[in-house]
Amino acid sequence: MISISNLLKEQQLPGNYFAYDVYVKGDLELGLLENRRGDRLLALPETLISAIYSGLEHETGSAARLVLFNCGKWWGKNFYVRFCEEISDYYGKTISQMEMVQFIQCFQQFWKTMGWGSFELNQDHYQDGFLIIIAKNSPYADQAPKWNRPVCFLEAGILTSFFSQLTGRDLLCLQTTCESLGSDSNRFILGLSDRIKPAEPWILEAQDHETILKNLCKSSQ
Amino acid sequence: MHPEIARLLDQAEQRYLQTNELELFRRYAVSLARRMETYEILRDKEEQIFQPVADRLVAAFPDERQDLLERALKHWLLISRYCGTAMLLSDPDFLALRLNDWMTGFVQTHQTQSIERTLYDLLLQGIKAELSDKHFPLIQPLFEKAKAMLLEETKPQ
Repeated sequence: MISISNLLKEQQLPGNYFAYDVYVKGDLELGLLENRRGDRLLALPETLISAIYSGLEHETGSAARLVLFNCGKWWGKNFYVRFCEEISDYYGKTISQMEMVQFIQCFQQFWKTMGWGSFELNQDHYQDGFLIIIAKNSPYADQAPKWNRPVCFLEAGILTSFFSQLTGRDLLCLQTTCESLGSDSNRFILGLSDRIKPAEPWILEAQDHETILKNLCKSSQ
Repeated sequence: MHPEIARLLDQAEQRYLQTNELELFRRYAVSLARRMETYEILRDKEEQIFQPVADRLVAAFPDERQDLLERALKHWLLISRYCGTAMLLSDPDFLALRLNDWMTGFVQTHQTQSIERTLYDLLLQGIKAELSDKHFPLIQPLFEKAKAMLLEETKPQ
């Protein structure tokens, strides 16, 4: 026997909190963008993203990549805190109480609503200790300079920091394919930091995603 | 708001609307009262419609996990509200905004297509029994659209 009145007593029927048409709100008079809770949002024009790349490269040379990665980590740390607050406010439970599919749906929708493109989590190598993230239509890849290597350091930093906090482990996210290099998507490999690090030189050697993944799985056996 | 009406109102800034254009607006305004009646019936009878559906669903899937059946019922409680709003707005695209990328993922992951399909059939029967012939046709296409989005785009693996 299932009681409908009991189902309706629950705080929320689990809707799509991050649906863009209700999530992003603006106040034209004040020139502010806010989310549905009233937290401030920041809109980055393409010109600014492009200028951040060229400014950083001019000021710091090849360290620009590390700066971007660390900015992403900082961003991801705050993003995680806000994401957790919003989830628990709306759904009445913490991320750890959420089932995996609901968490992934929320994360995907959030990614899209923020204008960062589409996001997919591939768990085929979960048993080996690696998660594969496939992101498409990244505005950061679109505006990046030609560095002849994967360029989404901001996203890699965000994902590193977000999933490290989520799992309480020291994780690292490395990008193996990039839209700026003509790939169909930006692929990232996420895993324990000391197991992922050996892949850094392989990326510079322009090894392909499958080879890097195979070697990572092999070296960790 | 009805997308076509919104477009008309935009044009009304540049010129007065023609009689045939106003006719669309008039039909929308006339049918709005009926849409609101339908909405109120769905709202007031939510539990009355869904409880027999839940009972018959449990009978149809006696060996199924209760949490999966409850999840499917919650989906359709929510979808019914979305259909109600889409009907008030006269905007079927509203459903796509709420269902795509969201509920389809749950159905795909849990592979609950057969439960959802049976639930849909039971629910539509229940709604038809509660609504009169002048109200039911207003909501039925939206439920069909929701079913198409939820079930036909998430094929069982």
